[in-house]
Amino acid sequence: MSFLLRRLGFYLLAFWASITLNFLLPRLMPGDPVTRMLSRSQQRLEPQQVEALRTMMGVDGGPIIPEYFAYLGRILTGDFGMSISRFPTPVSEVIASQLPWTLLLGLTSLIIAVILGNLLGILAAWRRGGFLDSVAPPLLVFIGSFPYFWLAMGALYIFGINMGVAPMSHAFSVGLVPGFNLVFILDVAAHLILPALTIVLVSLGGWMLGMRNTMIATNSEDYILMAEAKGLRPHRIMLNYAARNAMLPSVTSMGMSIGFIVGGALLTEVVFAYPGVGYQLLGAVQGLDYPLMQGMFLTITAAVLIANFLVDLVYVRLDPRVRKG
Amino acid sequence: MIIKYLRSAHLAVAATAVVGTLALSGCVASNPGGTEGGNGSASAAFLTIPREDMGTFSRNFNPFSPNAAPMTGQSIYESMLVYNPAGGDTVPWLATDWKVGKDGKSLTFNLRENVKFSDGTPLTSKDVKLSVELQKKLLGGYDYVQSIKTPDESTVEFTFKKAFTPALYELGQQVIVPAHIWSKFKKPGNEENPKPVGTGPYTEVANFQAQSFELGKNPNYWQADKQKLGGIRMLAFAGNDGANLAAISGDVDWTQTYMPDIQSTYVAKDPEHRHFWFPTTGAEINWQLNTTKKDFSDVRVRKALSMAVDREQVTKVGMSGYAKPADCTGLSGNYDKWRDAAVVEKCDWTKRDVEGAKKLLDEAGYKENAKGQRTTPSGKAFTFDISVGSSSTDWLSVANIIAQNLQDVGIKATVDSPDWASVTAGYETGEFDTGIVWTANAPTPYQYYLNLMGSQNVKPVGKQTFDNYHRFSDKKADELLSKFVSTSDEGEQKQVVNDLQARYSELAPVVPLFAGPEWGAYTTEHFVGWPTEENPYATLSNRAPTTVLVLTSLEPAN
Repeated sequence: MSFLLRRLGFYLLAFWASITLNFLLPRLMPGDPVTRMLSRSQQRLEPQQVEALRTMMGVDGGPIIPEYFAYLGRILTGDFGMSISRFPTPVSEVIASQLPWTLLLGLTSLIIAVILGNLLGILAAWRRGGFLDSVAPPLLVFIGSFPYFWLAMGALYIFGINMGVAPMSHAFSVGLVPGFNLVFILDVAAHLILPALTIVLVSLGGWMLGMRNTMIATNSEDYILMAEAKGLRPHRIMLNYAARNAMLPSVTSMGMSIGFIVGGALLTEVVFAYPGVGYQLLGAVQGLDYPLMQGMFLTITAAVLIANFLVDLVYVRLDPRVRKG
Repeated sequence: MIIKYLRSAHLAVAATAVVGTLALSGCVASNPGGTEGGNGSASAAFLTIPREDMGTFSRNFNPFSPNAAPMTGQSIYESMLVYNPAGGDTVPWLATDWKVGKDGKSLTFNLRENVKFSDGTPLTSKDVKLSVELQKKLLGGYDYVQSIKTPDESTVEFTFKKAFTPALYELGQQVIVPAHIWSKFKKPGNEENPKPVGTGPYTEVANFQAQSFELGKNPNYWQADKQKLGGIRMLAFAGNDGANLAAISGDVDWTQTYMPDIQSTYVAKDPEHRHFWFPTTGAEINWQLNTTKKDFSDVRVRKALSMAVDREQVTKVGMSGYAKPADCTGLSGNYDKWRDAAVVEKCDWTKRDVEGAKKLLDEAGYKENAKGQRTTPSGKAFTFDISVGSSSTDWLSVANIIAQNLQDVGIKATVDSPDWASVTAGYETGEFDTGIVWTANAPTPYQYYLNLMGSQNVKPVGKQTFDNYHRFSDKKADELLSKFVSTSDEGEQKQVVNDLQARYSELAPVVPLFAGPEWGAYTTEHFVGWPTEENPYATLSNRAPTTVLVLTSLEPAN
């Protein structure tokens, strides 16, 4: 219990530090958001019009310390201000309207990749030197090292355009009204195929290799030898003893990955026109949209910290050695 | 724990099976390559348009916001008149006619009768007054307006501090918002306006998602017989490629994105229905030279550099043949009716003439040294940068071609291409050598020439300006410009613009490159009635003032 409380305290400290950095970093970037916004759309406004825009958006410069404390206060009440690049939509609305799709895509791809990757790793390590072990890791790592953008466009071209088996863009068929009915859910799942497939393909190699290597190290442990000597079935040893111990690093990585899902999958969104926060984040950084950037970075930070905390909790259940320390 | 792992193994198998089933069901659930949801059935179909610069939509229909959702100013709100650059005509819209005062210091609009907002409230002069005031308060501008009077419900009278004839188009194309709603907002600039009320043809927001939204018919539209579409459907994409793919697959009806080699990528897939039209009515694109630098302050150097550029190559290779090389007036296709044929006839410095360029440079004191490189009169090598934003791939090619052309006269130019924000920041403070730059494209050439030769917006190097980046001014041009705004006699205006063109050709403040095309492509598979070269009642832009003309002219194909 005290272990958990100490971890919680540490996380709160980490959260405070990241909020402060979150506040400082965008303001250290050179330039000013209004002229950036105008230059990107090549609009021409009179000087007084630019000033008026600046005042309207609240970026007409002010002392930084009071702004920081006002910012802290607003964070605690959940008011993230208004986005500049999407003025006057509030930041919380911008993020909330797109986050569900990012989470759906990210979680689906992550879960499939983790399960498949770990299973393949377990099997490959168990039959070391066998067919699966010789072919799968190099092949998957090779595929994974292609630039994701290229792989995504290739998949779009082959499966979407040429073979026509999967929808090519968006999260659900245009014109369909979202609702919790079977038609809509199947439609969403169909539109997830290509984006999730490409993300899974790219990340599969990493999970497989990681699991395989840890399994090989675990297989050399004495208790595995003891279990074999005792005459337990190989299948049972592989899953219940070796894999169970080897999967601890995988759980940690998975925790981290869950946290970063909320950063969005920019390239997937660009290639497949999938709604999500990745493209928004890019736009926010390019447009010096301080409030949206801060909101997004805060979301990512919070998600990573929460995911890490949850992983810590799970770890305590999985690995009894941690409870003592 | 044991069961957990057995389950996870089974889970993996189950997951694969589910994915497989979904793949099959996907073939059933979606219609490959076609739009869905009752299109083309008994009810009229939706006009589907892609939007490639937003990624996702936010429910913001505030016309005073720089980031309003698409179609806010085109389909939800309207203005008193619409200027059509493709045909050069002005279409009365919410106003039936207007009168300019004798001294040019007043402008009176007569509003159309029986126009209602989508909530049934009639349009009155109070709405016009509030709209102009709000625009001025929130976004600035309209400094020349002294007062706005509303003598009765259908007349609006503007008086100006001094004569300003371009005011007709500025005030005329101001979107009109309902006063009974907007006067109640405490901070109108911060309103998201999720359920907008306007006078336009399609105002009812429906099915708003991050990836798409629909606009249904305005139940009280003043031209009910011209509302032949079932509605408008906007689709969000995160870049040109996604939008172009949708257009090629036939998922959208009308697109405005640049498509390389459009004939074979888009039209060839369905030549019977698909068409494109790129009128050169977009803004003129110039190669501006920073005239605060000694080298570029000499008009002979500017003209010589202009003569070294091969505009045929620039437009054919850099712009895929879609743009038109500039002439000595520097005017784009938008100003065809103002163009002075005499100036074009005598034109000598916008055509490729390497020998002529070399002669001019020698004359100005920029001789070639033994190695064939040009040197400035002070003896240093004549080299400079050409700035352009990295994301504009077509202009990047243009800059590279210019750099190549300059080698023929012995000048070494380097293309410098960081992202647009830093390029523009350099333009604004005057800290650049040369660069590719866009221009104003208002209905009259006044703003265009003001920003090229007028002293109004010239600021010293280091001070930020948003116009006239090359910091060039000429007294005679200033005189001509103030003469233009003070007269409303068309004959006099034409004479002044002729003089402006002649002065421009004499001074060559910038090197004009080409007139930017206004992109646009469409398919007649679902809708007909599009503007074309033979019938240029509007351009094919879906985010310009003329868009509402197209929306009210289209009708279903069968």
